[in-house]
Amino acid sequence: MIALYIVAAIAVFAAVRVVAEQKTGRKLPYANVLNFAVAGTIVLLLDHPLSLVAAAAYFVGSTLEANAVASTYAGGVKR
Amino acid sequence: MLGELLHILAAAIISWILFVTVDILFKLPEAGGVSGASAIARDIEAGGGALAGGTMMGNIVCSPDASAGTLLAACGVYLAGIPGGLAAALMVFIGNRICHDPGYAGTSGAVLATFVVYAFTQVGFAATDFIAGMVIAILTIQGLSHTHASRLLDRLWRVRQ
Repeated sequence: MIALYIVAAIAVFAAVRVVAEQKTGRKLPYANVLNFAVAGTIVLLLDHPLSLVAAAAYFVGSTLEANAVASTYAGGVKR
Repeated sequence: MLGELLHILAAAIISWILFVTVDILFKLPEAGGVSGASAIARDIEAGGGALAGGTMMGNIVCSPDASAGTLLAACGVYLAGIPGGLAAALMVFIGNRICHDPGYAGTSGAVLATFVVYAFTQVGFAATDFIAGMVIAILTIQGLSHTHASRLLDRLWRVRQ
């Protein structure tokens, strides 16, 4: 039970830091912490074998989004 | 309650050592896997951090690495024991390919973490301790001070070299 509260608190903390940080490149690591915390929260809240798939799908999806944001920030595809 | 907190703290330290060791062995600080990882590294360096450490942090953002592997393996072990952890490793592998990451840090980290977490569940730890522990561990690297975290990773990377 404490694990859930710790993970949820870290999610809120990371969300505040994402909003407070000005530079996009430095926002993303905070967003990464948020993704970890939300994936953990999904599993801790939903005690079901398929929660693993939900958490993994959420995590991979949000990582891919961070990847896309970072690559666009870096200048996008060079043609 | 205090016992659970201490377990979570111990699990955080174990997960931290596990994922940093695997990531550095797989040379994550060496080069950005995608252009976005290098851009994050440059921003961290501009803020007073170290480039190699920043590159590793950028790589962690852009693709599931050993830290993600450890988190999902702990989730898998919590829900379904060792098969759950190995299923998590498979999903990390698919995630790596989706994110254009040619490396195996995430998959190896997940497989290793499955057995580490399972071993600790046999000696009184709960798998949930490792879920919270891994979130605390990633917080210390990515969420507190990018400058200090990147310098620490840079120092560890130099030891590896």
